[in-house]
Amino acid sequence: MSSTILLWTILFPAVVAIILFLIPGRIKFLREIIAVLASGALFYLGFLLFSQKNLSLVSDWLGMGINFDLRLYHFSAFILLALAGFLFLICLYSAVKMQNHPRIREYYGYLFLAASFSFGAVLANNFILLIFFWEALLITTYALITLGLKATSHRTAVKSLIIGGFCDFSMIMGIGLLWASTGTLAMDKIQVEPHGLAAAAFILMMIGAIGKAGAMPFHTWIPDAALDAPVSFMAFMPASFEKLLGIYLLARITLDFFTLRAGSTLAIILMIIGAATIVLAVFMALIQKDFKKLLSFHAVSQVGYMVLGIGTAIPIGIAGGIFHMINHAMYKCGLFLSSGSVEHRTGTTELKKLGGLAREMPWTALGFSVCALAISGVWPLNGFVSKEMVFHGALETGYPIFAIAAWVGAIFTFASFLKAGHSVFFGPRSTEIPKTKESEAPIVLPILILAVLCITFGVYNKLPLQTFIQPILEGKVEAGVPLDFTSHALDLFNPVAGVSILCLIIALGLHFYGWNRGGRKAYLASEPIHNLPVLRQLYDLSEARFFDLYEQGVKFLQWLSKVLFRFIDRPIDYIYEKVVVSIGRTFTGLLQKAHNGQYANYLAWTIGGLVAVVWIILELLK
Amino acid sequence: MAIQIILLCGLIIFSVLAILLKDLIKAALSLAVASLFLGIIFFLLAAPYAGVFEISVVAGLITVLFVLTIALTKKDGEVKESRIVHLAFPIFFILFIVIDGLVMKSLLQKIPVLPIGPEAGTFGEVLWKQRTFDLVAQIGIILAGVLAVLALFRKKEEDKDE
Amino acid sequence: MVFSFIVIPLLVAAFLPLIGKISKKLLPDVLTNAALAFLLFNSILLVKPIFTNGFIIQNLSWLGEKVNLQIALDGFSLFMLFTISLVSLCVSLFSIDYLEHYGHKANFYALFLVMIAAMNGLVLVPDLFSVYLFMEVAAVASYALVAFGLGSDELEASYKYLMLSVVASAFVLLSITVIFGLTGNLSFQAVAQGLQDLNARIVLGVCVAFFIMGFGLKAALIPFHAWLPDAHPSAPAPISAMLSGLLIKVSGIYALFRILYSVIGLSPALSRLLMALGIISVLVAALLALGQKDIKRMLAYSSISQVGYIVLGLALGTPLGIAGGLFHLFNHATAKGLLFLNSGSIQHITGTRNLDELGGLGKKVPITSGTNLVGALSIAGVPPLAGFWSKLIIIIALVQAKAFGYALVAILASILTLWYYLLIQRKAFFGQVREKWQQVREAPFWMSAANIILALICLLVGIFFTPVYKTWISPAAEALARGIHQVLMWGL
Repeated sequence: MSSTILLWTILFPAVVAIILFLIPGRIKFLREIIAVLASGALFYLGFLLFSQKNLSLVSDWLGMGINFDLRLYHFSAFILLALAGFLFLICLYSAVKMQNHPRIREYYGYLFLAASFSFGAVLANNFILLIFFWEALLITTYALITLGLKATSHRTAVKSLIIGGFCDFSMIMGIGLLWASTGTLAMDKIQVEPHGLAAAAFILMMIGAIGKAGAMPFHTWIPDAALDAPVSFMAFMPASFEKLLGIYLLARITLDFFTLRAGSTLAIILMIIGAATIVLAVFMALIQKDFKKLLSFHAVSQVGYMVLGIGTAIPIGIAGGIFHMINHAMYKCGLFLSSGSVEHRTGTTELKKLGGLAREMPWTALGFSVCALAISGVWPLNGFVSKEMVFHGALETGYPIFAIAAWVGAIFTFASFLKAGHSVFFGPRSTEIPKTKESEAPIVLPILILAVLCITFGVYNKLPLQTFIQPILEGKVEAGVPLDFTSHALDLFNPVAGVSILCLIIALGLHFYGWNRGGRKAYLASEPIHNLPVLRQLYDLSEARFFDLYEQGVKFLQWLSKVLFRFIDRPIDYIYEKVVVSIGRTFTGLLQKAHNGQYANYLAWTIGGLVAVVWIILELLK
Repeated sequence: MAIQIILLCGLIIFSVLAILLKDLIKAALSLAVASLFLGIIFFLLAAPYAGVFEISVVAGLITVLFVLTIALTKKDGEVKESRIVHLAFPIFFILFIVIDGLVMKSLLQKIPVLPIGPEAGTFGEVLWKQRTFDLVAQIGIILAGVLAVLALFRKKEEDKDE
Repeated sequence: MVFSFIVIPLLVAAFLPLIGKISKKLLPDVLTNAALAFLLFNSILLVKPIFTNGFIIQNLSWLGEKVNLQIALDGFSLFMLFTISLVSLCVSLFSIDYLEHYGHKANFYALFLVMIAAMNGLVLVPDLFSVYLFMEVAAVASYALVAFGLGSDELEASYKYLMLSVVASAFVLLSITVIFGLTGNLSFQAVAQGLQDLNARIVLGVCVAFFIMGFGLKAALIPFHAWLPDAHPSAPAPISAMLSGLLIKVSGIYALFRILYSVIGLSPALSRLLMALGIISVLVAALLALGQKDIKRMLAYSSISQVGYIVLGLALGTPLGIAGGLFHLFNHATAKGLLFLNSGSIQHITGTRNLDELGGLGKKVPITSGTNLVGALSIAGVPPLAGFWSKLIIIIALVQAKAFGYALVAILASILTLWYYLLIQRKAFFGQVREKWQQVREAPFWMSAANIILALICLLVGIFFTPVYKTWISPAAEALARGIHQVLMWGL
């Protein structure tokens, strides 16, 4: 296969995007058919490329080592395949769900454009090229959020743009530092020890990667977007694409560009970020009253597991982190899609209004349940496997605190999903919504496919671990370390798994305690925790966006601009008005007086100039 | 020698007058006189061609042009100028003359004798054989002069028409 | 054929007054523009041979008899030829409509063509005295053209221009005479060779000073600039565009630097002196421009300032500096041509050039306003327009040569430039439409067309900066820089 196929992989979705932009809004079905077929073709292409392994396309671009350099190898082929798969599912889903969206042309256009940029970012083998695609993704994210058509959509879109822009900016600076210290921009040629400047570069690039993945504290736009953006966008971007891209880059950073040692300061920083993200986000998720918002906080919380896993810098931890990435993309995508399915039929996602939908929407409920159990880490689903690997990795680093944090996360993850599932699908039928029925096949089908995948990846975990994950780590770990992670992946009978199962039991207990206390209303099951003395105040502050760095930053900037205007800008303006302008006027006036239109006078200047020139030249010659 | 010095002084004085005189017609006439002096100097220096050209073209033709164009212009009100501005030219000019005298004196001594004299031959031959390109330029100058005269006379015709 | 650059305009000019008797408008318009378009086409055709050979030298014969008629064309001269042809074509297109109310088009075009022929000749000759002669031809034509309107202002300006310009010519001639006396030769190569064997530094120093004064006056470098702000605004707009866009560059900058580069050698001392003159021009003229009320006067001062930039780049003498200077020369020729033509449009539309009287024309005359903005921003150096790149290159070259003070002043002056151009734009085009100008209409077709072509050039050259720079400017500049080193052997 010729390597120009790589270029076509990027160009094809872009061309499709343009076609979809151009199809007039009145024509029905055509756009959906094109989108599904094109994404199916891309998915097939993903398989083709995955079977290819190594391909590379290099041509001169901007000079100075900035080449148009695309490289396909195992890892990028894997991510590419996953991206294409999710694109296909989302297109299938959107075919019905988004059918009547007033700005449907833009929706599909940006969807495929985002796919094109993502493929480019994955295939890029030159940092400048990577930045190009990475930045371009911000624009599509922005545009897709505004398609939520809510009053606050625009504001949230700007928020995502600024947070993303900040993260990307720090990544660019990191790349700049790396370039300065290594002198090359080719991604496959860089491998440095993270010391001194390189450590700064590592941190800066890491911010870029985890910012894209949505780890704390760069997550705050995601919960806002859950309410303001189309739900399929949530399944598309924060749940799958951004996780895949962000964690892909993080893995590349820790495995390829830098040699991260287990237990080093940088590794611990990563683990702290991961652990903090897990715990803080899951606490926020627990108390949410809205289905989509609850899911969005989990989308943040789960990133913590991936970051933690990769931060361990121990093969099993890294493998767990990467495995968790693909698992998460599957079940979180499925969860968002099922919430969309509920929204599609009932028109709401508020937990309070919903209830007992399992009978009317059995397939959605089934898909949701499988995915929810998977995310909670219930044996034998995929979430269990990858979480176990992360736990093992965290314990092996010798800092059990991180494992404990991860377990705490597991407790509340399960608790919150018990609450969500209980409120939406089970329990008594809500009286607030009219009778309804199951969603159309294109909506249910992607959810069920994802649910089946969750089961497959859990039960036959050897399959993904051996075909996808292990080759990534080959050659990256010290010789002799076993790369077969399947041995204890599904082992129920070891202390680690024991603790995990204990956590699930605690979660169950908590849920039923809260359910009883809340008058047997499932959506109130988290209230006992919500009302704990210190937590209550923290939650209130958090609801008021006190911990949202972006909101605080905006407030600070507003304050700063006022101060600067009063105390710096006005005085400078005064100086400018009075001093600069008057000096300028004076000079101009003086010079103008010398130009009075008298020929003799002009001749005098000329002769004077000549005398001066002669004198200077003679001086210079001496 | 004495004649030459007188001629040179005359040349300078009339040139300066041409610049300093406020009345444009008088200034133009001073210029004509100055180029008359220059023409005579050319003759004395055994450069008859140059002398003829100088007197006929510069002193004759161009002066006529000037007088004509000046006659076309209308008189504007006097512009008031400060004293210092008036002094600028004389001061710089005197400065220049002094420096010129000093520099040229030492300079003239340093210029070596021409390594090769211009080839013998009549004026026409030299012009044709060696300076052909200059002929093209000369044609250009004459053309430009004629066209300029045409352009500047134009107004008069139009005035008559009106 | 290279000789056609001189002969064709001269021939057309010679017959135009006769043709003007037959057809007052159409034939002169068509003939002039066709001739200029042919020259532009011809200069583009020459690009390839020049890049493959480096230079072309042609010796012509007259009816089989060998005569001394030599033409030398290298990257620098071709660059100038192209610029001259391009700008003059646009100007003559503009003149089709603009000259309607002056009358006597044939005569105008004839003088115009003589001026172009002279500039082309100046660029092509490899001989000191011929340079002088062609400079004079161009000057005589331009005196007449400045006075073409025949108002008292025009005549006075023309007279002043003539008188100062004659002083310059006299010094140039004097200097050429002395050099002829020293070496017995007039062609560039022979003189350069003759000077190498000679030890006459002081004499030559004085000659160079005369050259700087003479050509500096033609190029309107401060303090030799005084004629320009009178002469350029008084001329009809197309002629202002020619004078500011081309004539000062050809008979001033080109002649000076051709002689410095290929005959005398740009020694470090000379380079310093010229850079100082350049930077003074940049700054002082920019300040002067700020105080002007008349659009064309403001533009004229701006020309002085921009010529300062060009001299700064060329005098630096490094390949990058020369490239910047040449590029700025081209950009200034197009942009300043455009701005003067625009001022002509404004005058045509409203009948005035006084900034205080204008206002709010932007909505009424979008083409004039838009093209004016492009030209102004290009000269002021706003990315991505062409002028930005050339100023950037000059400033980078200054920084590279460790002339930080110059670089700083250059940057500051470019801010001043932006200031006064925005002043024009704001006062003339932006804001509320005045009562007076409610009825105005956009400029006629050919005027707008010429403006649009020039604006497009400013824009496209800026956007496609890299290919233009790589294929066009950079080789010419490097060839010149190599030439300097060869000539510099004997050192001043």
